[in-house]
Parts: sequence; structure tokens; C-alpha cells
Amino acid sequence: MTRLIVRLRLTMWRTSMARSPLHLFSSIVGGLAALGIVLLLGPAIALLVLQPLEIRAATVPLFSFVTLMWVVLSLVAAGVDNMLDPTRFAVLPLGRRELGRGLLAAAYTGVPAVMLCLLALAQVIAWGARPATLVAALVAAVLGTMTAILASRAVTSVLARVMTSRSGRVIGAAVVSLATLLPLLLNLLIATDTLRTDLSTFDARASARATSWTPVGWAWALPFDVASGRWWVAAVHLALAVATVALLWWVWVAQLGRVLTSPMTSSGGQHIGRGRLLPLLLGRSPVATVATRRIRAWYRDSRLVGIALRTGVLPVFFVVQAVLTEVDALAGTGVVTLGIFAGLTLMNDLAFDGEAWWMHVSTGLRGWEDRLGRAIASFVVFGPVVLATYLVSWALGVIGSPVPWLSVVVASFLASLALAVGVGAVLPGTAPRTGGNPFAATSGGAAQGCLTALISFVGPVVLVVPVAWLAIVTSGHPVLRWVVLGGATAYGAALLVAGVVLGGRRLDRRAPEMLGQLAHAQL
Amino acid sequence: MTDTVVETPALELVGLVKEFRGRRVVHELSLSVPRGSLYGVVGPNGAGKTTTLSMATGLLRPTAGVARVLGVDVWESPSRAKSLMGVSPDGMRLFEQLSGRELLRYVGSLRRMPAAVVDERSTELLDVLDLAGDAQTVVADYSAGMVKKISLAAALIHAPRLLVLDEPFEAVDPVSSEVVRTILRRYVASGGTVVMSSHVMELVQGLCDHVAVVAGGRVLAADAVTELTAGGSLHQRFLQLVGAAEVAHDGLGWLGAPDGDA
Repeated sequence: MTRLIVRLRLTMWRTSMARSPLHLFSSIVGGLAALGIVLLLGPAIALLVLQPLEIRAATVPLFSFVTLMWVVLSLVAAGVDNMLDPTRFAVLPLGRRELGRGLLAAAYTGVPAVMLCLLALAQVIAWGARPATLVAALVAAVLGTMTAILASRAVTSVLARVMTSRSGRVIGAAVVSLATLLPLLLNLLIATDTLRTDLSTFDARASARATSWTPVGWAWALPFDVASGRWWVAAVHLALAVATVALLWWVWVAQLGRVLTSPMTSSGGQHIGRGRLLPLLLGRSPVATVATRRIRAWYRDSRLVGIALRTGVLPVFFVVQAVLTEVDALAGTGVVTLGIFAGLTLMNDLAFDGEAWWMHVSTGLRGWEDRLGRAIASFVVFGPVVLATYLVSWALGVIGSPVPWLSVVVASFLASLALAVGVGAVLPGTAPRTGGNPFAATSGGAAQGCLTALISFVGPVVLVVPVAWLAIVTSGHPVLRWVVLGGATAYGAALLVAGVVLGGRRLDRRAPEMLGQLAHAQL
Repeated sequence: MTDTVVETPALELVGLVKEFRGRRVVHELSLSVPRGSLYGVVGPNGAGKTTTLSMATGLLRPTAGVARVLGVDVWESPSRAKSLMGVSPDGMRLFEQLSGRELLRYVGSLRRMPAAVVDERSTELLDVLDLAGDAQTVVADYSAGMVKKISLAAALIHAPRLLVLDEPFEAVDPVSSEVVRTILRRYVASGGTVVMSSHVMELVQGLCDHVAVVAGGRVLAADAVTELTAGGSLHQRFLQLVGAAEVAHDGLGWLGAPDGDA
């Protein structure tokens, strides 16, 4: 049965690539990116075998971090693929353990999982100098990868269950937002133990010891414990790591059992208010109507609630760090990052609509109206957040030169909105299925995201650099810096108009083709 | 076809072709739907009914051919054509985060109707279709039949002159189904035209005045229902036309409760 499920997984992967050249292309790009990471990091890790223990110990914090990131990224719907949705097996006479084994094996065939395994093997080489540490590293690799994969499965399946009800969705979104902060906490934990850049005095043992007592570090600490001769610590870590894997497996299988017997997720008659406020504020023109619907989606649609919270929470960390470290560029960067992220959330707006977008096509809505409505929605939702974060940072005194930073913030928010509104009309991206598991995403989806991710990273930088340059040059000038602020606003607005017009034209021309693309945009 | 129509047909399809990756699923399909008719399109699964209706309504670009709504080319001037018709596709989702009432209001606003008219008509439609109790429930929580009904309401709200419905009776309960039939009959009596697809022959025979039998992406027959059936049932005529493969009597013999230790 396990082999059958693995084969099914690979077949689905192949057919989905054969169906769409874009999917194939992005899968290749994603695969190459993964290969690049393995080729870069793998040898670097393996070569630690030549280094003394205090440097080799770096594998413990490193892999703990990777494991944590794995779980967190799966929450952010990028790492885990749900191509084999357990609900689809509900009609077959399959036991939950049998299904669990098969799905676990299938999970190991994904690109990110293969990457993780290869890096774990590099870790085995790093500890390969002595037989005892070699065996410990091997055990660590097996337990560590299983912890990562099972944890992501268990956590997402539990959360998906919690999020079937409306209040649960908000709780789930809050949990997810907090979870995204965990790597940063771990980062602080590692950094608190003096981390010197000078390699000759570099000592990773303290941070290895610190992370070895976190759930994600228990398994990976084994070779380090053995190498430093702390056998009883190794025994405790081993016991804890095995218990973790067992617990995660139990949780996941229990969830599978529940899904197999009640595949219908029902939120049971979600009643909502009459929603009079937004039409009152925005009017009832087609543009305003689209905007109203998208604004409502930001608090009704569980898929978007999570994204909104994460987008809002991330920059808080920059600001907090700026307050702690008194590096004011951090706070400014935080607000700029928020502006860019907030703008880019519009990128796969069409994918979130999915096939339902036919209603725009059949009512003869013009492309620019669709684009402008969405841009207004994102502006109304995120504009105040960006502004508030900026004002709070400014009030805390962590923004050194307020006017130039404001220019960059305004330009980056508007430019990313413009970019998303334009590019989104060509590449709709992907989104989790409506009403399905809000954390589901296929690795193919993540890979297709690579192309848009590339545009998302490079695009805003290219568009904002001129403004940033001008802002820096004029930062000391009492008048010119205000001129730059005005110019940045006008520039951003012009970009937005261009995005709306160009994106709109594209939609007008190719609406039916876009509809065809959207039929496969939800995974 | 049946009568010679002086005025332009409500829906006219001329030589429609659709190819998916070189595989032709609709073969130069031509069809003329006279104004004021209740036109049924019947065919087996995979006949190309949905593909054809999508091309007729501007949701799927044809590889070749022309579709005209009341003389307006759907692919030359899509906006004008779309303002003339109301569409309810099968199996395509709606904006599920909206409540039933919000959905109708949404479609009405996109069609640039005055707010007061939209509100008045939505209330009436929700009442008639027995959805008033769930007007405030999000469409995501609607049952399949309710989704069909709200989709029909969304297609009707701007009082179109042509109504294109893909499987409008699927999953709709008998009571609501009778309501929908009454609505469609009244709509046609007042000058509207309905094109609907279905694979329930009894329903089409009882409701429609014209019918086209489509299979394998081609029109096998198109005529007034009375002409086509010629006294017999549409069901039999349909099986004749499509050439149903009979299940051999000795086939699937293993299916059923085993006798003793079979």
C-alpha cells in the first residue's frame, strides 16, 4: 500500500507538470534552486568533519533552525504539499495507520524533503570521524527529518481542524502568526551566546547546548552529546526525540482517522451581518463593489486572515529589535518591508477567487475595474497598518530621519501594489482551495511561486531604488527632502495607474484564458 | 430547423470548434435558438454541452466559429453580448465568502444596476426561490441545490433577454424544481429565451419546446420537441440517436450478493 501511494504521488506530480508548461518550468526552477542550496550547503556542512568540535557543534543550532523553519514554513503554506489530500481516501477501505505510513513515505518524495534528507546526510559526514558519533549522527538524521516532516503534518492537520469554525479560524490565524515568530526567538537564543565572526575564536558549543534543549534540537544534538562525552545527556535527548516522533505520529494518525470518517468539513451555517458600512463608505459602483468584496474577504476568508496577521506581525519584530539594539535602520527597514509585503499580497488575488472569477467575466466587468477595485481593497486594509507602524516607530524614536524614510515607505507600498496589480493579471499564482485545508499547498505550487517570488523580490527593489537613492542624497536638505516625499508619492501613484491600466488591458484581452488558468489555480 | 424565423435568433452558433491541445471536442457545431423558445440541449456525459455553452456565453474562447446573441457577436463585442444574457454555468464556484443577498447585490452592481432595483429584485428572488431564510448565510455553507438556485437568481437579476443555464435542475429538490420551471415558463411567455442543458430527458420533454441532441461535440438532431419525439418518448429517441451500448446480459455477472460461497 505504501508503494502504491508513493507511486500515485509521483504520477500526480508528473501529470500536473505535463498539463502546464508553466508548472513544468517553475518546477524545474524550484528543483534547480533546491539543488543549488544542497550543492552550496551540503559540502560546507560535510567539511565540518575537518574542524574542531567547537565549530562542528554548529550543526546542532543549524539543523534545529532548519527543522523549526520547516514546520513554520508549512504553516505559511509553502513547505508541505497536500497533493494527496487524506479526505480523498475516505471512500477506500484503508486503515489510518496504513494511510499514514503511505502518506509519510510520499512526503519524503517532495523536493524540499529530499533537500532536507541530503543535508541531513551531509551532517552524518560531518560527524563521521569516529564510529560512535557517526552512528549518533545517523540516528539524529533519521529522527530529525521525521520530526520535521511529522511535525508539519501534525500541526497543519490539527490547525486545519481547529479552523473549520469561524472563531477557530481566528484562533488558528493567531497561532500561526505567533508561530512565524518562533525562528526569530530561536535566533535570539542562539545569538545571546556570543557569536563571533572571527573563525579562530568561533565557538558554537554554547548555542548548541542552548538549542539542544528545544524540541527541534533534541534529535540533532545526539552526535554533539556523544562527541563531548556527555552520554547521559545523549540518552535523555534520544528518549525525548523518540518520544517526540512517537507523539507527532500519534497526533497525525488520530487526525487522519478523524478525516477518514468525516471527510466533510462543515462550518455549519455561517451567518453574517448585513454589511451596510462598506457600501456606504465606498459607494456601489463596480469598482467599489469589487473593493468591498475583497475587503470583506480579508476578515472572512480564513486563508486571508492568516496572511494579513502574518504580514502585520513580521515588521513588529524589526521594530522591537531596533528598540533593543538601537539600530534605527532596522525599524525603517521593518516598515519598508511591511509596505512591500502588504502590496505584494495582491499578487495572487485572482487565484484566491479561483474559478468564481467567471462572475466578473460574464457580467462584462472591465479589466481596469477589477484591478482598481482590488488595489483599493489592499490600500484600505493595509494602508492604515503601514502608516500606524511608521508612526509608532517614529514616536518611539527609532526612525532616525523620518521624512526620507517616509518617502521610501510610501514608494515601496505603492510600487509593490502596482507591481502586484500588473503582474497578477498575467501570472495569477496559486492559492489554497476555497473551503479546503487553509494550509494546503503543493510543492508544485511553491515551485510555480518561484517565478512570482523572483519578480516579488527583484521588482520592488528595482522600482524603489531610485526613490531610496534620492531620499538618502537629500536627507540633510530641509526643503528637498519634502520635495522627494511629494515626488515619491506621485511616482508611486503613477506606477499604480500604469499597473491598473496595463493589467486591466491584459485581462480584457485574455479573460477566458485567465479563467482557464484559474481553474487550476487552487490547490 | 423548424420554422423560418424572420428576426435574428436569440442565440446562434455557427461552426463552433473547440480544440484542447490538438484534441477536438466540439466539431463545427451550429445551432439556432429562436426567440421566445425554451430550448433544451441534451447529450450524454462528455458530449460537449458545457464546452459549447461556455463558448456561447463568452467564458471559453472557441478555436473557430461564431456565437451571436440576438445578433451581437459574443467574441467581437463581448460587453454588449454579455449585457443581453444571464448565465448560470454548472460546476463553477461562486464567490463563497458572500452571503446569498450580498452575492445578488454584487452581481447587480457589477451590471451597473441602480441599488434600489437590485435590493427589490433580490428580496423577491430570494423569496420565490425559498432562500429568504438563508439570505444572510455565506454561500460556502449552501447545499448543492441552494447554490444552483442562488446562481439562477444571479443570472436573472438584470432581467436578461437570453438565459443560458447549464444543468439548472441538478441537485434541486422537487418543490424548488417546480418553482424554477414555473419561473422559466413565465419568463419565456413574456418574451425571454432560455437555453438549458440537461441529461434528464423526462424533464426536457416536459418543459422545453425545442431540443437539440448533442453527442461527441456534434449536433445529432435539433427540432421542436413534438417533431423529434413524434409521439414516442424523448428518452427512446435519444438512445436511438446516441446509439446506446447495451449492457450484455452475461456481463458484470459477479455484481450482486453472492449465493452461498460464490
